[in-house]
Amino acid sequence: MSAPTEETLFPTTGEPVATIARRGRVGLWLMIVADVAGTIALLISYTYLWSLNVNGGWAPPGARVPFTESNTGPQKADATWAAEWPFWVILLLVLLSTVAMWWSYKAVKAGFEAAAVTGAVLSTLLMVAALIAQWIQITTFPFGPSDGAYGSAVILLCASNLFHMLLVLFLLIGIVNRTRKGLISQDVNYQSQAVSYYMTWVVVAVLLGALVTTFFVESPNTDPAVFGTFETGAKSAPEAPPSPSATPSSSPSASPSPSAS
Amino acid sequence: MSTATTTVRGVEQVTQPPQHGKPGGIMRHLNLGTGLLTGIVFAVGAGWIVAALTPSSATTPTFAPAEPEYVYLAGLIGWVIGFMLGMGAFIGPLRWMMGRDLTHDDAEYMAGKDLGVKRYFKFTTDHKVVGVQYLVVTLVIFGFGGTLAMLIRTELGVTWSEVFSPEFYNSLIGTHGIAMIIAMIIAVSGPLGNFIVPMMIGARDMAYPRLNALSLWLLVAAAVCLISSMFVGGMQDGWSAYQPLGSQAPPGMLGYQLTIIVFAISTAIASVNLMTTILTMRAKGMTWSRTPIFVYGIFASSLMGLYAFPFYQYSQILALTDRVWGTVFFNPLYGGSVWLYENLFWLLGHPEVYVIIIPTAAVTLELMPVFLRKPLFSYNFAIAGIVGVVALSGLVWAHHMYMTGWAPAVNYPFMLSTEMISIPVGFLVLVAIGTFWRGTVWTRLPLMAVYALVFNKMIGGVTGIYLSDVPADQYFHGSMFVVAHFHYMLMGAGLFGAMGGIAFYFPKMTGRILDERIGSIGLWTAFVGFQLTFGSMFVAGLQGMPRRVLQFDEQFNISNWISTIGAYIIGLGMLIFLAAIIFSWTSGVRASGNPWGSKSLEWQTAQPVPLENFEVLPVVTERPYNYGVPDPYDEELAAEDGDRVEKVGAS
Repeated sequence: MSAPTEETLFPTTGEPVATIARRGRVGLWLMIVADVAGTIALLISYTYLWSLNVNGGWAPPGARVPFTESNTGPQKADATWAAEWPFWVILLLVLLSTVAMWWSYKAVKAGFEAAAVTGAVLSTLLMVAALIAQWIQITTFPFGPSDGAYGSAVILLCASNLFHMLLVLFLLIGIVNRTRKGLISQDVNYQSQAVSYYMTWVVVAVLLGALVTTFFVESPNTDPAVFGTFETGAKSAPEAPPSPSATPSSSPSASPSPSAS
Repeated sequence: MSTATTTVRGVEQVTQPPQHGKPGGIMRHLNLGTGLLTGIVFAVGAGWIVAALTPSSATTPTFAPAEPEYVYLAGLIGWVIGFMLGMGAFIGPLRWMMGRDLTHDDAEYMAGKDLGVKRYFKFTTDHKVVGVQYLVVTLVIFGFGGTLAMLIRTELGVTWSEVFSPEFYNSLIGTHGIAMIIAMIIAVSGPLGNFIVPMMIGARDMAYPRLNALSLWLLVAAAVCLISSMFVGGMQDGWSAYQPLGSQAPPGMLGYQLTIIVFAISTAIASVNLMTTILTMRAKGMTWSRTPIFVYGIFASSLMGLYAFPFYQYSQILALTDRVWGTVFFNPLYGGSVWLYENLFWLLGHPEVYVIIIPTAAVTLELMPVFLRKPLFSYNFAIAGIVGVVALSGLVWAHHMYMTGWAPAVNYPFMLSTEMISIPVGFLVLVAIGTFWRGTVWTRLPLMAVYALVFNKMIGGVTGIYLSDVPADQYFHGSMFVVAHFHYMLMGAGLFGAMGGIAFYFPKMTGRILDERIGSIGLWTAFVGFQLTFGSMFVAGLQGMPRRVLQFDEQFNISNWISTIGAYIIGLGMLIFLAAIIFSWTSGVRASGNPWGSKSLEWQTAQPVPLENFEVLPVVTERPYNYGVPDPYDEELAAEDGDRVEKVGAS
């Protein structure tokens, strides 16, 4: 355990490390603002489509009520909702990883550098486990990205988690290496603090994802407008949905729905 | 651990990490050439790998994109990664991860010390170099977008036949739109925000010098993606790229989407850097009430970009996955919604107008006291205007969606918020006019640009009120009136203001005065052309001419002919202004350190500006813009014995 020495200076600018640390914290919080906005965009997308249930297409085809069963098209007919528990297991792993990182930061701040390395390594291992779990979840969903808006939204939320985890993993490897080399120490530990803060935000982001995918599953809109059954459309001669050849580069084409044929 | 020490910025005995090899390490060998080379190699390699792995179109499901799309997208991603790798953008993070920190010598090399002109072609961290690089990139993007504008006006002016195919014409419209939007977003914040702000607040550099370079080179990578899209069908549904049209457009749409995704990252990084610099690096004594108005403008613009750009970015990420991965976010047949796209898009789309306008307005307010030799009229009122715009900017997006049928019940609240935002914008105009009042007018090129800006902004602002009004918008929506309005705001106010800012700071950036005669000829030529082009476009819009059309009724011929003639005059004016920049930069009259007699900190530095700006960091003792106000310290110093002089600071 080393005692704090005289004011440590940053090698490239000659400024006190405390000044650099303050600057780093401000920058980090601002970067988190941008990240929060992006995550909100995804959550808005999820909840917006969940609330509208456009054309009865929110649920995966296998979980739909009968009036939309025609919209299976290229989708998997047996696709259904995702299990909820994996979201929470992944959250737990990310949370434990973050706790370990905070422990590492507190340890290095108190001068226990060996404990700090242990905490950072533990945090890294837990994040790797979370990353693998997230990957397994994405690849084993009972639906694909085309299987309704729910499928698309859930997969993108998980992809966002995956991106966060990869970023954190990169940071953690750096923290382990730097702590081991003594570059993060009792005097200079703002990088550990910054990573701990960022990981705390990642926990919040994963938590928000787990909450919406657990509690906002079946759409509250049980009587959505369905294409081909609008009153004005029903009076005039309905057109068949676009054929695959008409929109070769668009998203899934449709098979004709009974109401439109 | 090495115990080597060195003197850094006057501080002795600063411990240095081990120096591995020559300062700069591998960065000594990386530059724009290696960036282009690795970018091209990665683009070709990624495209080739994907072409080899992707099943041919005949065996893919019918809803999957055709193979060339995957190849093009892989090529673009390969380009961005390869280019940034070749520039050395990943060296810093890797060094950090490996625990090999920069020494002071490394940092000085990275900042371009003793590199001469080569530093402009490298991943240089000095904020002044980045500012100049931004200026050049901005001019290039303007040139590209402006050329497309000329082609559009050529098509619309030749009313007796078609010059281009409808597909190419649509592509011109969309690409021109987004190129100009990008150019205008960076026009002031890029060159002037980077070059001037650190000096203006009395700092030696930006908070994060390497992130500064990263934001610039990401922008270059994104610009190449955008230009490439023109060669694969372009983007044919306007700069807003509405869905589901975007999913059905040619592969060029992928270029647009990746451009926005990368540009948003660049913008976020630049915003964080500028805001952190302003928040944490202001000189001693520079309290918020002594901070120049331009700094407020840059801060506000960065803040709006920071919270709003991610929505735009995610709208394009979702659109991209819809297109290449088969997600259904914007496909109503499977539960998606096009309104979702419109909301995400306009959540940036309208704050973006203020991201452009606020720095432009701020730079004009910054230069006005210098040329009117009097304090800014109501500095506090100007700050209130900026704060008001920021506060309301996120509450006006849906006025772009009055006619889409989305949530008609909220049309009127959005009408109210949109009309309310004209109040803080009006503050800024009033401050400008108030500053003119009884000023000692010293009409130089920068002030001429202010005249042009105020005129255009009044017209743009007033016509905007009609569009914010729901009943009026039912008529004007989708017409040439809208096009004329936003050009008056974005170009008439934004671009002319940027021209003023560049003319004002040109001596500091280049060490030479921007040629006043050639520059003012260019400025006023462009101004006259601008009134012809967009004034007659208002007329066409009032007559009912829709926007984004290739063919139109004969009744609109005259206004379109006038618009096209005006556009060519704008083009001529811009070329003259560009010639003034190039001529002045290479062989113009040399400028002293403070040719305008400004009181701001950035003008108190030596010329050329030293690498670290100030030998000794300045201390600020008074509010900015005290032109024409007797300096109480001078009075106290000049007082003879027996004179009664009130002590400075005494109540």
